[in-house]
Amino acid sequence: MRRGAIVALISIALVVAAVTTAIAYFVDWLPEQASEERQGIDLVFWVTVAICIFFFAVVAAVSIYSGVKFRVRPDDESDGPPIHGHTGLEIMWTAIPTLCVTVIAVLSAVVLAQNDSPKGEPLRVEVLAQQYAWQFTYPDQGGIKATNLYVPIDRSTKLVLRARDVLHSFWVPEFGQKQDAVPGIVTTLVITPTKTGEYRVICTELCGLGHALMRTRAIVLSQADFDAWAREQPQGGGSAGGGDGGEIDAEGIFTANCAACHTLSKAGASGQVGPNLDELSLAPPAVEQQIRRGGGGMPPFGDQLSDGEIEALVQYLTGSNE
Amino acid sequence: MSETTTANSHSPHHAPHEPPKQRHWLLRAGWPRAFWMTGLFFLLGMGIVVGLRALGGYEPYLDWEVVIVVAALTMAPLGFLSGLGAFDYWVSYAIGRPTAPEDHSAHGAYSWKDYFRINTDHKVIGIQYVTTTIFFFLAGGLLALLVRAELARPETDFVDTQTYNELFTVHASLMIFLFIIPAFAGLANYVLPLMIGAPDMAFPRLNALSYWLLPIAGVMLLASFFFPGAGAGWTNYAPLAVEQPFGNVFFSMAVQWAGASSIMTALNFLVTIITMRAPGMTFWRMPLLVWANFTTSLLVVIATPFIAASQFFVMFDRVMHTNFFDFTEGGYVLGYQHIFWFYSHPAVYIMILPGFGIVSEVISTFSRKPIFGYRLMALSLMAILVLGFSVWAHHMFVSGMAAYLRVPMMVTTLLIAVPTGIKVFSWLATLWEGRIHFSAPMLWALGFVTSFVIGGLSGVMLGAVPIDIHVSDTYFIVAHIHYVLLGGSLFTIFAGIYYWFPKMTGRMYNERLAKVHFWLTLVTFNTTFFPMHLIGIQGMPRRVATYEERFGDWNLFISISSFVLGASFMIFVYNMIVSWKSGPLAPANPWRGMTIEWLVPSPPPVFNFDEVPQVVGNPYEYGVKGARHAILNGDRAAQVEPVRTQ
Repeated sequence: MRRGAIVALISIALVVAAVTTAIAYFVDWLPEQASEERQGIDLVFWVTVAICIFFFAVVAAVSIYSGVKFRVRPDDESDGPPIHGHTGLEIMWTAIPTLCVTVIAVLSAVVLAQNDSPKGEPLRVEVLAQQYAWQFTYPDQGGIKATNLYVPIDRSTKLVLRARDVLHSFWVPEFGQKQDAVPGIVTTLVITPTKTGEYRVICTELCGLGHALMRTRAIVLSQADFDAWAREQPQGGGSAGGGDGGEIDAEGIFTANCAACHTLSKAGASGQVGPNLDELSLAPPAVEQQIRRGGGGMPPFGDQLSDGEIEALVQYLTGSNE
Repeated sequence: MSETTTANSHSPHHAPHEPPKQRHWLLRAGWPRAFWMTGLFFLLGMGIVVGLRALGGYEPYLDWEVVIVVAALTMAPLGFLSGLGAFDYWVSYAIGRPTAPEDHSAHGAYSWKDYFRINTDHKVIGIQYVTTTIFFFLAGGLLALLVRAELARPETDFVDTQTYNELFTVHASLMIFLFIIPAFAGLANYVLPLMIGAPDMAFPRLNALSYWLLPIAGVMLLASFFFPGAGAGWTNYAPLAVEQPFGNVFFSMAVQWAGASSIMTALNFLVTIITMRAPGMTFWRMPLLVWANFTTSLLVVIATPFIAASQFFVMFDRVMHTNFFDFTEGGYVLGYQHIFWFYSHPAVYIMILPGFGIVSEVISTFSRKPIFGYRLMALSLMAILVLGFSVWAHHMFVSGMAAYLRVPMMVTTLLIAVPTGIKVFSWLATLWEGRIHFSAPMLWALGFVTSFVIGGLSGVMLGAVPIDIHVSDTYFIVAHIHYVLLGGSLFTIFAGIYYWFPKMTGRMYNERLAKVHFWLTLVTFNTTFFPMHLIGIQGMPRRVATYEERFGDWNLFISISSFVLGASFMIFVYNMIVSWKSGPLAPANPWRGMTIEWLVPSPPPVFNFDEVPQVVGNPYEYGVKGARHAILNGDRAAQVEPVRTQ
């Protein structure tokens, strides 16, 4: 190979690498980083991107150079030199990629092991996923239930995920971690938030008609604020939005269970999957039956809500306060 | 089948009055018989269901769900195939009637009507395959545009959610099962026997049967729209699949028919390649397209039964109340994913290895150079075949499977990039110092290399578990699969169609239109799919009809690009139709290729070769003075030249 060709190849590769690096650097690729696990993920991401840029630049340089330099002149019927192979080159382009993927594999395995293990004693949160809502239970805080995920900053939280009906998947882009909730088995996920704020919890596994709306919020608080929040919550047993002792909060039940799919202006809900409840007026028995048994794409809630909760919900929806 | 013989009788209702020379038009193999036999078999299936239920005392006797599965989705297609004549020979043989001797009267196509019959000529079947798959490609593409129409704005404003879920499900299934996999089978069906110097495939009747299973599968998939239910994604994960409306069984059964077709074709290719190579065609002299189809066929016969099982289990859970995946009855939900991906990961190689073969042919021919590192190219195919069976769980890094499986599966996944990389570097080295002709097939092949490199590198990123955990089930995945399947497989299919169009039709296509088609597709493909990487990493999940406002601008841009991308295929369709009808006549060897298909006229005679070709050298000896790959028609002159072997 002539020296000129090598110089040209290297220059093209450098230009391509510079352009792709600029794209990688100036475009805001990754979402805001709000967990320790994301730091590891981002490290693997950028190391892999760097390796990818190297290979892309090599391929682009050879293609561009060949396309310009070896383009045939019109009416040139000749053949190229009969080069059948080059053992040295072939060994090289087997060995170098093997080396690069080994680096990625080792780094990934280390980061994975770190991200799997909580730092110190984790806060345990039980996550129940169902069509199309999330429910979070805090067994060590007296069994508080919530529809948003409240977690303290700088402390590992271990999510214990269960699914009631079909597959769901828990993801907060800013935390990076993701885990399916699988009916019949229990899965776990560790997150260690590093920034206070509000983030989106997204279901990423297709779970039916309301999949796109199966969203809630993850709220990262300082330890003091988290403790204060935990103290304010009714303790134990009751379902989302209401304790079993006092008044049942029908609007809370609606927000937790129905708002993902149904529009109802007085609850501030704007779900698009099921019928718009502002435009629907049904007799209380029909509403109760629909809630208990489901149907028409709607899952049944008969075994998820208590009789009192269903009654409160029916009253809330039909406006009949007897 | 032959219309001149009474021997291939199948129907028990034999015309009593006379043994006619030509059987009654209702009893003759063909569309009229297919029509009434479809109905007859449907009624038979219905009778079986009602009869057995009545015998067992299961109320109600007439359960339409069971009737549809047994009568409409199983028996009726069998009736259709019998009526068309796909089983005539075997049935005659089985019941002891004289079989129709293979007089080759069913070979060749003399009018467009011959493409709508059972035809045992591999060249006719190849064209049947390619045109049918292009039809389903256009149908699948239309569904993709409807998906993009919905996604143009963040709200749900175009279709309802169930319809939307079915749009992307049927889009993906049509593209995978009715386009990419059978399109490769079709191209290979046409050129592979020619390339190895064989007069036909090893089992011509099986070949015809495997083609005719395809339209059945395609119609079933499209029909699932009218019995809604195929809305659980092409992966059809349990338990959502079992919970879907009834139409989900259409999806399950369509996959069975397409899978059966795929397995039969693969067996046919394997036997053809192993037993029917021309004298002198050793394994190390086979063109890389033949190598590619050899490895692909091995993948198909080993892996495809697994997806058949996964779809049967899902359907049985619904129809027969089994509990394979019902966790409340002890079923194992993750079992579905393991079985499904044990097929569907090798399936991604089923969808790309034949493309590797096509690209190797095209790049060598249009660079006028031998393929660089021929043996390593063939061996890397075999390496991909072996490694391909050890990576399936990388689709399940976040699924909750046994945690220890993740690192070994990551290692094999990353390692499989190495043989793939070898192929890319060898193609680039083939270009080096070549005499590169930028004709349409070459443009598509080079477009493939660049797109596939991007898709391959994003595949390496996905192989790293921590990155995969972040981006799995987001638009990053959608971007990756379209870079490898659209920029990968589809581009190689176009390369193959343009490359062999003169051979298949005997006419040249319009080069200018082909180039416009290429550049328009290349640009809009990248503008459509590259931004999806970004919005995926940022937090947009896949399979949603509505999304956050902040992704609105990118999605609008993507949708507009995708409409132009869709329009670019109209140029291709126009070019193909007009050129096939009235393009300039093609010479036998327009690209000055060396492999055997270019030694026969375009299109080849009905029996391919007047005499058996003699293979005397390697397939890509461009630039080697006097080298020949094969000799035909008593051309002994070349034999005196020294034959170089690698």
